[in-house]
Amino acid sequence: MRLTYSPEVEAFRAEFSAWLDANLPDEAATAVRPRSSADIPEWSRSFQRRMFDDGWLVPGYPPEFGGRNADLYEQAVFWEELGRRRITQSFNPQGLGIVSASIITFGTGEQKHRWAVPIMRAERTAALGMSEPGAGSDLAGLSTRAVLDGDRFIVNGQKVWTSGAHHADVLLAFVRTDPDVPKHKGISALIIETDTPGLVRRPFRDITRPDPDFNEVFFDDVEVPRENLVGELNDGWRVCTGSLAHEREMLWILWSQGLDRMLDDMLEQLNDGAGAGAAGDPVVLDGLGSSIMDSWALRLLGQRQLARSRRGLHVADQSLLKLLGSEAQQKLSLLMLEALGPAGLDRTVPPDAQSPYESDRAALSWADRYFFTFAGTISGGTSEIHRNIIAERVLGQPR
Amino acid sequence: MEFEFTEDQLELQRAVRDILDAEAPPELARAVADGESDGAELWGTLAGLEWPAMALPADAGGLGFGWVELAIVLEELGRHAAPGPFVATVTQFAPLVLEAAGPEDAAVLLSDVAAGRTTGTVAVDEGAGTWDPAGVQATTRRDGDHLVLSGTKHYVVDGATADEIAAVVRLDGEVRVVLVPGSSVQPVEVMPIDPGVRHSTVSLDGVRVPADRLLGRGDATRATRRALEESVAAIAAITLGACQQIFDIINAHAKERIQFGVPIGSFQAVKHKLADMYRDIERARVLVYYAALTLAEDHPDRTLAASMAKAAAGEAQRRCVQDGLQLAGGIGYTWEHDLHLFLRRAKVGELHFGSASHHRRRVARLFLQSGAA
Repeated sequence: MRLTYSPEVEAFRAEFSAWLDANLPDEAATAVRPRSSADIPEWSRSFQRRMFDDGWLVPGYPPEFGGRNADLYEQAVFWEELGRRRITQSFNPQGLGIVSASIITFGTGEQKHRWAVPIMRAERTAALGMSEPGAGSDLAGLSTRAVLDGDRFIVNGQKVWTSGAHHADVLLAFVRTDPDVPKHKGISALIIETDTPGLVRRPFRDITRPDPDFNEVFFDDVEVPRENLVGELNDGWRVCTGSLAHEREMLWILWSQGLDRMLDDMLEQLNDGAGAGAAGDPVVLDGLGSSIMDSWALRLLGQRQLARSRRGLHVADQSLLKLLGSEAQQKLSLLMLEALGPAGLDRTVPPDAQSPYESDRAALSWADRYFFTFAGTISGGTSEIHRNIIAERVLGQPR
Repeated sequence: MEFEFTEDQLELQRAVRDILDAEAPPELARAVADGESDGAELWGTLAGLEWPAMALPADAGGLGFGWVELAIVLEELGRHAAPGPFVATVTQFAPLVLEAAGPEDAAVLLSDVAAGRTTGTVAVDEGAGTWDPAGVQATTRRDGDHLVLSGTKHYVVDGATADEIAAVVRLDGEVRVVLVPGSSVQPVEVMPIDPGVRHSTVSLDGVRVPADRLLGRGDATRATRRALEESVAAIAAITLGACQQIFDIINAHAKERIQFGVPIGSFQAVKHKLADMYRDIERARVLVYYAALTLAEDHPDRTLAASMAKAAAGEAQRRCVQDGLQLAGGIGYTWEHDLHLFLRRAKVGELHFGSASHHRRRVARLFLQSGAA
């Protein structure tokens, strides 16, 4: 055990940091803001493309896919630098982190160059079609139907909670291709262009913001070429769980940074801002102490996972990290909301509360932040589902 | 950072576990709980294996192991609810002597500790339950070539049995540490919830010791605080071990206990409690070993890290005792079942050397002062 990274890893950090100094767009260029999680303003598209071309977009990937074969600790300091400077890796996070990652893992060579690379280079944006009205936590129970008809699929059904779909060029959609086998075995993954006839997107608002991000997506005899099948026919569940694994591998860093971001803002307000009166309240201090411990524990558990993964050991803490991270954010935002009293009800966000290189959701009011944390405890497997997963897969309890 | 045990540390963990499985089985903790043993035999065995010397510096006849290694041993002691003077001697007395006397004098004073011939403890708290040296009111004054003490110390672990008590008192207003022979005080032992960890109320009134028993020079507030950081992290490690044992008992029980024709672990109400216990234990585990790392490297974060470890172990304890006892059902409520041996150790760990809430507030104040997470 030791407290520091090796000199080689620190050199990697310095190299990335210098690259950011030289390549980060001027603040003046960032006035146009993303409207959803699949809407990338032009200035950000060109920055993301530069990150890809110079091997800094996903450092763990090989150079042809925007990386430099970085090891896990190098990837960790990459994320630390982005977090420290408040830079979002991509304004189309699911397109980059899940859709392109799934195509690179499971797609053909042609699919990788036709879909994954343009998504990574921010030439196109992508959304993820997983949940349905009848398939949330029970994702494998999805019923959107795709029937193979010669060299094309005919798709009928509905997706929901499809973030950014109204701005996305393509969807990676999970569909039922065989209704006569156990539910996990009859699912396939299709890339569907959003301008295909018969595909209708209806954005709807959530409780925290005026611009909608979620969509319902309706499929009415939508024709999808067979070549858009990712992975084998009826092997889509593997793509689905694989894509979530991509999402979860380094996800703890984002939970950790989100929590640290809240703590930084809280510190500022408790020391000399609106919350100064609460700083001496032992109840507030007690809760704050626990949240600071959450922040450290999350970082240390994440580091332990990296160390184990590097040694080739089985890593089983993703559910633990997700549960701890998402609930810690909820606990802290509620604490701050209550500590502020009625002042916490104000939804105004100071104009300089966030960096131009991060999502406009990084610095919401405490009331909105508290509501927004439910996106964390509900999406990506609810907290209840993750408790089941921990009990069954880590602790060995029967299903 | 490399936040996982080295191969050597894993080997040590296995060796310590094997020794304690053999030398401190649940039957020993039970014999202590039944008043049939005082654990002296275990201390003799551990002394023979040079455990007391493990974490002491080489100058004092110690083996110079690091704090991470010590934490591994402490976690296992907690997991076995092991009785005896190891904890107070090695993690309370020795650090205070080292910090207050300085390395040269401490080497002489601690050589008998390293050899397992002397046991010790500290007398700091005076009833507040926070072990804060700033709150010390007990005094000493010079009387020729002697010191005369006055005041009452609370929650002195092993206060009725330790050979030496390092008492934190005021001399001319300054916080100082005086070594008091255990035989010179009249301790009143408190009826303990865990007979394996006894504490006493110790009156220092009229105790006379030679003046050379005054350790170091100048105010010892900082020395005491630094030493207590080690004591606090140590109790956190022990509490973590006790929680792990409670959890292991309950996790196995949930797989074996059949009701309504199925193991009770198949019910979500049970699963979710187990998942929460596991989460709190792992959270405490990484914070305990982070504290151990900062102590091993004398890193500036050690003050914060020790308090985080103590508070996290306290939170884990709260959940494991509460839900562990509940999920065990009626059988865990019986004297015959081993569960209570570990519940007791975990509860003691929460309340000795500052509660979880005390340490959480301390963490928050350090955070607000430092200005960064």
